[in-house]
Amino acid sequence: MPSTTLGRGAAPIAARAHELLVAARPGWPGRALYALASSPLALLYLAVYAGLLGSVVAVVYGIGVLLILLVLAATRGLAGMERRLARTLLGVDVPDGERVRDQRGVVRKLRRLVFAADTWRALGWLGARVLLGLATFASLIFGSAAFLALGWEAEWNPLTALPLLALMGAVVVLTLAVLDLLVRLAASVAPRLLGTAPEQRIAALQQSSRRLADRNRLARDLHDTIGHALTASLLQATAARRTLTPAGERPLQPDFARQALGHIEANTRTALAELDRVLTVLRAEDGGRDPAPFAAPGLADLDDLLAGLRDGGLPVALVVDGDVDDVPPGVQELAYRVVQEGTTNVLRHAGTPLTVAQVVRSGDTLDVRVCNERASQLDSRPGPGGGRGLAGLRERAAAAGGTLSAEPSPSGGFDLTVTLPLSGAA
Amino acid sequence: MTPLRLLLVDDDVLVRSGLRVILESEPDLTVVGEAGTGRQALEVAARADPDVVLMDVRMPDMDGIAATAELVARDPQRPRVLVLTTFEDDDYLYRSLQAGASGFALKRADPDELVDAIRVVARGSSLVLPDLTRRLIAAQAPSRARGAAALPELTGREADVLRLVAGGLSNAEIATELFLSRETVKTHVSSVLLKLRARDRTQAVIAAYESGFMIA
Repeated sequence: MPSTTLGRGAAPIAARAHELLVAARPGWPGRALYALASSPLALLYLAVYAGLLGSVVAVVYGIGVLLILLVLAATRGLAGMERRLARTLLGVDVPDGERVRDQRGVVRKLRRLVFAADTWRALGWLGARVLLGLATFASLIFGSAAFLALGWEAEWNPLTALPLLALMGAVVVLTLAVLDLLVRLAASVAPRLLGTAPEQRIAALQQSSRRLADRNRLARDLHDTIGHALTASLLQATAARRTLTPAGERPLQPDFARQALGHIEANTRTALAELDRVLTVLRAEDGGRDPAPFAAPGLADLDDLLAGLRDGGLPVALVVDGDVDDVPPGVQELAYRVVQEGTTNVLRHAGTPLTVAQVVRSGDTLDVRVCNERASQLDSRPGPGGGRGLAGLRERAAAAGGTLSAEPSPSGGFDLTVTLPLSGAA
Repeated sequence: MTPLRLLLVDDDVLVRSGLRVILESEPDLTVVGEAGTGRQALEVAARADPDVVLMDVRMPDMDGIAATAELVARDPQRPRVLVLTTFEDDDYLYRSLQAGASGFALKRADPDELVDAIRVVARGSSLVLPDLTRRLIAAQAPSRARGAAALPELTGREADVLRLVAGGLSNAEIATELFLSRETVKTHVSSVLLKLRARDRTQAVIAAYESGFMIA
């Protein structure tokens, strides 16, 4: 049946239209108040526009810029009031925007004030309110004029009385309907001009997902570095205590205990350095600053890293060759991690042999290498494939389009080499 | 009593050497081998014939999950695998249980708890860390909610026993709960395991949740 086909197509549209009307239909007292207030408010907003125009003219005299800023600030303030009006009288859901006051620093505040889209959108709203106010005023005038004309100017006699009364009624109804329409028009436009702008929402969304990714990376780093270091330290400490505690016929093993303490020392040092880094990141986030520059250590941080290891007894030299200044931050961080993991592994597996960390830029590749001489102590043999950190590094190197090789060197030491491409690896 | 033979698998040599000293100080435990990767673990296990493998999860060159699955495929009864983890909420934990591990313990656990967990895994008479394990399985099991029908025919008693096993109770506790002798409980548990083709209680609990017999 055609009617059902039609009905099927029309029903959802009708339902949607109904929904919209219901949504935009606040109680009549609210709407009436809104309509009544709109003409006087229109005058006020007209004054804002006049002020803006005046300020622009006054730019010639130098003071104009300040005036423009004042007007814009006033615009945002009035927009706040308008939001409250729309919420209470029209029942429209318009969230408060980001406040300029929350920005740190005068420059940021000003930049926010002048360049934020919502300032100009608010100005647009005030303009719309001027038009709406004028329209409201005009329809009131028209309505009243028609009403009065019919009542006092028309020729009343028993024959015309009824049609005239009907006409007067129609004028009242029509005027009210126009006023109502205008108010509802305001209610439907308000969210668009007063609410959160799409670009703000997208920016907020992007920021939150970036933050989430940062958090996840931070969690993974914590897991891999501090969690790992503390676990190893805990087990070493527990074992060391046992080897120093007399029990039955078990011999004491002070050598094991001494070695264990060395490992605990190195592990704890690494963990604290990592904690320092993580806390810096978190503090930066709390302070509302962009954590990015703090989040990733770069090649410039290698000196500090190696200085710490030298304090721990590892004789390690750093060789940087080629122009590494324009190496992308992501690659720099990875290079830093390679050196960190490589040198820590030397301490962990081989004691304190002579070690060299090399970062060499040649054309479009960056080679990062950590190699050490024959182990000074052989309390542990480096397993093939190396530590957990190496597995993670291998993944990250592969993700960056690079390669990792980790193997014992012919001289009896260990050699970790990572090659990273610089083009297309931003 | 012959000591339990242990194989330590962890990519961190410091974790292994610490564990070795701690565990060897127990008279009824002996470490018969160490491995730094999953692949190595398979080699050493074939040679050293351990009773219990202490298995790290994340390792280069075959992780603990794959190594556990391979060990179970070789011989469902021996060795049993106790997964060692740094964090309780490790995403890989459930997958390692699914792969056939008998239980897990935290690396930071008190040495006595760790030793206890190893003995429990070897004996198989209760779950390791019953509460944690049960919660983990209940939360992660992809329940197909097909009801008890998805499980093979269990007698009423066996169903009771499975319910209590899945609740983390040991044989002794089940005996008290159901007014049965321990031996009877043991028989019921064995026949439940047989019917579910589960090699141990942990696997039975997983089957109970995944089949929808237990509702998370």
